[in-house]
Amino acid sequence: MNIIVPIKMVPDLVDELEINEDGTDLDRDFLSYKLNEFDDHALEEALQLKEEGDATVTVIAFDGEETDKALFTAIAKGADNAVKITGDFEEGTASHVLAKALAEAIKGMDYDLILTGVQAADDRDGQVGVLLANYLGVPHVSVVSGVTLSGNTATVHKEYAGGMMAEFEVDLPAVLGIQAARETPRYAPVSRVRQIMRQAELEEVEVGDVDVNVGSEVRRMFTPEAGEGAEMIEGDAEEVADKILEILKEKGVR
Amino acid sequence: MPEANQITREIFLHFPLWMQLVFYAVAGLTSLAFLYGFYRRYLKYRRGRAENRFDHLGQRISRALAAIASNSTVRKSDSFAGFAHTLIFWSFVLLFIGTTIVAIDHDFLVPLFDIKLLQGTFYLWFSVTLDIAGAALIIGIVMMMVRRAFFKLPKLDYTRADKQDGKYDRSGYSTDDMIFVGLILIIAVTGFFIEGFRIAESMPEFEKWSPVGWLMAGWFQGMDADSLITAHLWSWWTHAIAVFLFIGYLPYSKMMHIFTDTFNLIFHDPDSGRHLPPLPPAPEPKEGEKKKKMAMPPMGYTTITDFTWKELLDFDACTKCGRCHAACPANAAGTTLSPRDVILDLRTFANEALKPGEWLQQKFLPGSKWPLAKNGKSSDELLKIDVPMEVIRPETLWSCTTCMACMANCPVGIEHLTSIVQMRRHLVDLGELDDNLQGALMNLGDYGNSFGESPKKRGRWQKGLSFKLPDARKEEVDYLWFVGDYGSFDPRIQGLSRHVADVFHRAGLSFGILYDGEKNSGNDVRRVGEEGLFEMLVEDNLAVLKKAKFKEVFTTDPHTLNAFRNEYPAFGATYTAHHYTNILVKLIEEGKLNFANKLNYKVTLHDPCYLARYNGEIEAPRKVIRALGLDLREMPRCGANTFCCGAGGGRIWMDTSNEQKRTSEQRIEEALSLGDIQYFVTVCPKDYAMYSDAVKATGNEDKIIVKDLIELVVEALGEEEKAADEAEN
Repeated sequence: MNIIVPIKMVPDLVDELEINEDGTDLDRDFLSYKLNEFDDHALEEALQLKEEGDATVTVIAFDGEETDKALFTAIAKGADNAVKITGDFEEGTASHVLAKALAEAIKGMDYDLILTGVQAADDRDGQVGVLLANYLGVPHVSVVSGVTLSGNTATVHKEYAGGMMAEFEVDLPAVLGIQAARETPRYAPVSRVRQIMRQAELEEVEVGDVDVNVGSEVRRMFTPEAGEGAEMIEGDAEEVADKILEILKEKGVR
Repeated sequence: MPEANQITREIFLHFPLWMQLVFYAVAGLTSLAFLYGFYRRYLKYRRGRAENRFDHLGQRISRALAAIASNSTVRKSDSFAGFAHTLIFWSFVLLFIGTTIVAIDHDFLVPLFDIKLLQGTFYLWFSVTLDIAGAALIIGIVMMMVRRAFFKLPKLDYTRADKQDGKYDRSGYSTDDMIFVGLILIIAVTGFFIEGFRIAESMPEFEKWSPVGWLMAGWFQGMDADSLITAHLWSWWTHAIAVFLFIGYLPYSKMMHIFTDTFNLIFHDPDSGRHLPPLPPAPEPKEGEKKKKMAMPPMGYTTITDFTWKELLDFDACTKCGRCHAACPANAAGTTLSPRDVILDLRTFANEALKPGEWLQQKFLPGSKWPLAKNGKSSDELLKIDVPMEVIRPETLWSCTTCMACMANCPVGIEHLTSIVQMRRHLVDLGELDDNLQGALMNLGDYGNSFGESPKKRGRWQKGLSFKLPDARKEEVDYLWFVGDYGSFDPRIQGLSRHVADVFHRAGLSFGILYDGEKNSGNDVRRVGEEGLFEMLVEDNLAVLKKAKFKEVFTTDPHTLNAFRNEYPAFGATYTAHHYTNILVKLIEEGKLNFANKLNYKVTLHDPCYLARYNGEIEAPRKVIRALGLDLREMPRCGANTFCCGAGGGRIWMDTSNEQKRTSEQRIEEALSLGDIQYFVTVCPKDYAMYSDAVKATGNEDKIIVKDLIELVVEALGEEEKAADEAEN
């Protein structure tokens, strides 16, 4: 069983975020980066599966700030391989491009299961997993919080709003978007990470330009603006619905 | 007056030759048992990891001998047991010397050279000294027996702190204790009977120099000569058999503490605990050998053979006096940790796993099955057992606050803390740590503080001060103030930091801070067992410190003080470091702080473990308290004997719900027991936080108020009080 976990660095929210001059992105000059929390859960789930049975875990990430540290940390936690994707990918690259590039990098690899984080803090659409599955031509389930493997299938639990849970059986290979690992992501002792930094080497895979339709484009990025005030609608469902309809008519919706 | 050569005693009085031969044969066998007992210990210790404790050997020996001769460590904190032990110890030494003189005289000088020492005046002095020693021995032993039987001391209760049935039964220890005192009592009493029966035969006047023997001989005057000879023989052999049992059993019993503790005191590091050992160096990869998978050297201790020979000796040195058990805050809080239990469990396990007999057998008779290992496990299996996970257990190890009360109270130099931290290192390596602690460590790794705040915000606590402190990286100052995480980020403590800044600023002190260059000192990170993170924090701090311009360091946090005084020197950083109370004393003595208001509150002072016990700073806060005119009432546990608030060793970052009764709350009750106390004075940010919570939790807000010393200094200074108050809000 080969499990691949694509991980991604996102801006660290401990510092105040600023918008760049163009007003289209964060001002990335002074940002610090850390591993996307959901990706940490995906890695943890992969390591749990590895400990349950016979599996190798490969972590793959785009080259960028703090990427090496995150990959070495993943090895310290128990991942078997770490792959760095080099190429012309800036921080904040759109998910469509990332998914295509990931697919290019993963295509030639041996894999049975790909676990991504369900989304990332700096992600516009949370579609990397979906698109990756599409490019690779394998099934995909998202918002997963429990994976059980048996033979060539995985039984997964998907969360829906309102506390609903669904159980899926997925044929492998597949891509799963992990919402939460079964346990808190483990701690990697600093001395282990440092030992690995001294001793291990990261594999590198170069991916050239990928040509995909990005789907959407950021026109303007801004901090939330204070609105004109809100009206709380009270009453039972019917009354509320009536009032909403009234307001919509008033505003000119037809 | 008889001739000098008649003033003596006959050793084998009325003994047939065969009986004398039997005596020497049994003595030979006993000596073999005794020597094998030592040899198996040696075999055990040599299987521990190497550690150099042979430096400054002369100094080590003289320090140990001074402690042993004065019994100072035994007398400290228990004067009754200390007195009894001193009686037993010195009488034992005298009786041993006396017996040695008899042996030299009787078996060596007389038969070979026809020289007899034990006669005349020398004999008389010999006789009276040994009689007094024998009497003192009996008194000491009876005192100890009475103490065990009637005092009902909690420290002598061998019940396990973790209340786990079936885990290393302790009844064997009680039996061993009784055999120990019982045998000595039999030896001493029968010794006097022998003397009494011998003297009773002819009652020579000079035997008044054996006062106890003379007294007893008086009681036996009614007996005829034959009965006296028989009684003498019987008591002689009872005495001899008891002595042989004592000698042969000694290396296998509590009595061995005579030797293990002598060596343990010699090899003890008096600064152990204040600084901790580094990890063994990781093997460097050879040229061209970089690869993805590598063998990881162990981090901390996993198996019993990871412990050093000194630590294996520590386990054997324990006499179960229970002082650590009684002093331990984790035990007082009702957690599963007792330092005594940790040491004794490790001893029992080491004896099971490192069975020297079995080791010898495997070496010389490979494949043979006898003797079988206990618990159905072979030594080989036991040697693979994960000690921190299976023998001591994580919950117990995580309960330690590293307050070092155990080590400070141990009379025989056991270093509990290093063993505990080494085992914690393994738990960190396994990821066996609670989520809160893991979060704090990740914050410390990412941002250099446990609060998870941006490093850039480290200097923000100054907001509200009318001045801004110099950045010591850019501007030269006399003192560098290492503020610490709590002083910088905890909203409850930031006000105290502003007070310190305000007071020192008013006194005209030249001091600055490192702003975002400062990271957590790592003192408690090291005690958690996250050694790599500790090293990283030290390296980061030292890189900044080396470039900063200052003469000396002061801290508001005693934990940071300990790092600077005791941990950083091993990394090549030898700064003179003070606690802020030291600076206050200096400013008061220089007349730079003029207290406009004399305060007359009744207060008590809580000594921080890392200030008083770790670093011996007991006087500075008291000098300030006196200068303020405060009425200081001491709690029973004060100075170096202080009681931990429960926050140290990373406990402040952990889920501490396994504490049945928080030590901070016990401490507030201790303060309240003094009667009418207004302020509970602290000189440590963590204490301030812990005790403020404890006062609320125990519902004592109307009875006692927690104040940092600096708040009282500000109140006494008066004039600019308002400015500081505004700063706080």
